[in-house]
Amino acid sequence: MKRTYEEINAKIEKGDAVVMTAEEAIQLVESQGVEKATKEVDVVTTGTFGAMCSSGAFINFGHSEPPIKMQKVWLNNVPAYTGLAAVDAYIGATELRDGDGMEYGGAHVIESLVRGEAVHLRASAYGTDCYPRRDIDTYISLKSVNQAYMFNPRNAYQNYGVATNSSEKAMFTYMGKLLPHYGNATYCSAGQLSPLLKDPKLRTIGIGTRIFLGGGIGYVAWEGTQFKTSVPERNGVPSSAGRNLAVIGDLRGMSDEFLRALNFHGYGPSLGVGIGVPIPILDEDLMRSASVRDDQIYAPVLDYAIQSRNRKPMMEVNYAQLRSGTVELFGKKVKTSSLSSYFKARMIAERLKSMIMKNEFQLTEAVVPLPTSREQRPLDVCSKEEVL
Amino acid sequence: MAKRKFNLYFRPELVNEPITYVLVKDYDLRFNILRAEVVEQGGQLLIEVDGKPAQITKGVAYLQSMGVTVKELNEFVTKDESRCTNCGMCVSICPADAIEMDRKDWTVKFHLEKCIACGLCVSSCPPMAMKLQA
Repeated sequence: MKRTYEEINAKIEKGDAVVMTAEEAIQLVESQGVEKATKEVDVVTTGTFGAMCSSGAFINFGHSEPPIKMQKVWLNNVPAYTGLAAVDAYIGATELRDGDGMEYGGAHVIESLVRGEAVHLRASAYGTDCYPRRDIDTYISLKSVNQAYMFNPRNAYQNYGVATNSSEKAMFTYMGKLLPHYGNATYCSAGQLSPLLKDPKLRTIGIGTRIFLGGGIGYVAWEGTQFKTSVPERNGVPSSAGRNLAVIGDLRGMSDEFLRALNFHGYGPSLGVGIGVPIPILDEDLMRSASVRDDQIYAPVLDYAIQSRNRKPMMEVNYAQLRSGTVELFGKKVKTSSLSSYFKARMIAERLKSMIMKNEFQLTEAVVPLPTSREQRPLDVCSKEEVL
Repeated sequence: MAKRKFNLYFRPELVNEPITYVLVKDYDLRFNILRAEVVEQGGQLLIEVDGKPAQITKGVAYLQSMGVTVKELNEFVTKDESRCTNCGMCVSICPADAIEMDRKDWTVKFHLEKCIACGLCVSSCPPMAMKLQA
């Protein structure tokens, strides 16, 4: 049984495509088997909503009178990077507001823009013959700027580690608050709904793939940073953080329902991003991977008290165990918390399904596949000679 | 019988008074200490009181006559539904099992009656949906 993108899109156009969420596909495969399910289903939709620190947005503010070549830019007092042309800037999600703690940052600015609110813009410059102006203080909104598009270098991790803490004091991490003496364990994947776990070798996800991004439409732009393929597998899916995506999409059309400023106490701001990827069921292999269940997907448990990039996993647990509310570590029942909202992941998979069924979303074949072999390199302190 | 929660604030000189003993002996109230701390400004005790409604009222009056500031705990921690993403970060943090993940629809349920107002969920909530009321 083979199916092509053209066939699927023709069915979508006619309103005949059979689209299921990954949860529905799991049930179908359980009752009918892979072969029958493959014949029946054209597309399986996925979803994830979690903290994705490597996120941000490019904005072009438009030219002032007289013009300015912005050298420093602040949006609601959060510095944005403007080492680009005159009025281009990049606001990063984790950038902190100047001078007042760690609660507010770039993520909040992005959420504000998406909510349609006015954002305070301040810029300074050294002044040139072509750009004489030296400062500006004004307001912008998604209505006023030329372009505002999200470009996130690392989103939608294929899988991720589970965090716990063996030490005697609470730790405040990007994996949330970790209570002492293995007081809790936190995880951050939508598991059986998570996009890249449903097509683990990324056969159908590559550069140019159209996706659901933050409530709007986006595209896969590149391999995500720290993309790696050299990860252990169980049941055909990576059992630790592996591949991920760099994504791009217009902020206009996105919504704060799927783009939410987050704050991790003691760590700082991050952006909650909702992503959904449609998996075209081209053959049985894809149906098999799209129907992998939580109890078949494993993640390593890491002790964050060991503050080293080389910490070894203590053990592996699966997502059915994590989602049950407790896991057993060294004979002790430890409560679990998710940082990724399964509720929203489900909503995204449903939303994407309905967009496809209404012909508001057509599938795209990747222009270029993402790397099939990639290692992740460390950063070492070395000499000029050693680095070459 | 009724169950109510109170936050009691003591001045430093009251810390040695056996007031909880009086509550039991003279007012026939059962209580559960949910949280206790003593700092430079005095002491703070969060108790859940179980007893006849009239006796609870009398007990509270006694505490006030002793110079204890009594504040009933109604809505100390609140959940802003419009900000909550239902991730569940707070679930494993709550020492009172007042926050629960509903595994049918994967929403986070906050049971106010179990809340001991420790505030641990407030600092652990990524979208800042859990708020502590002063």
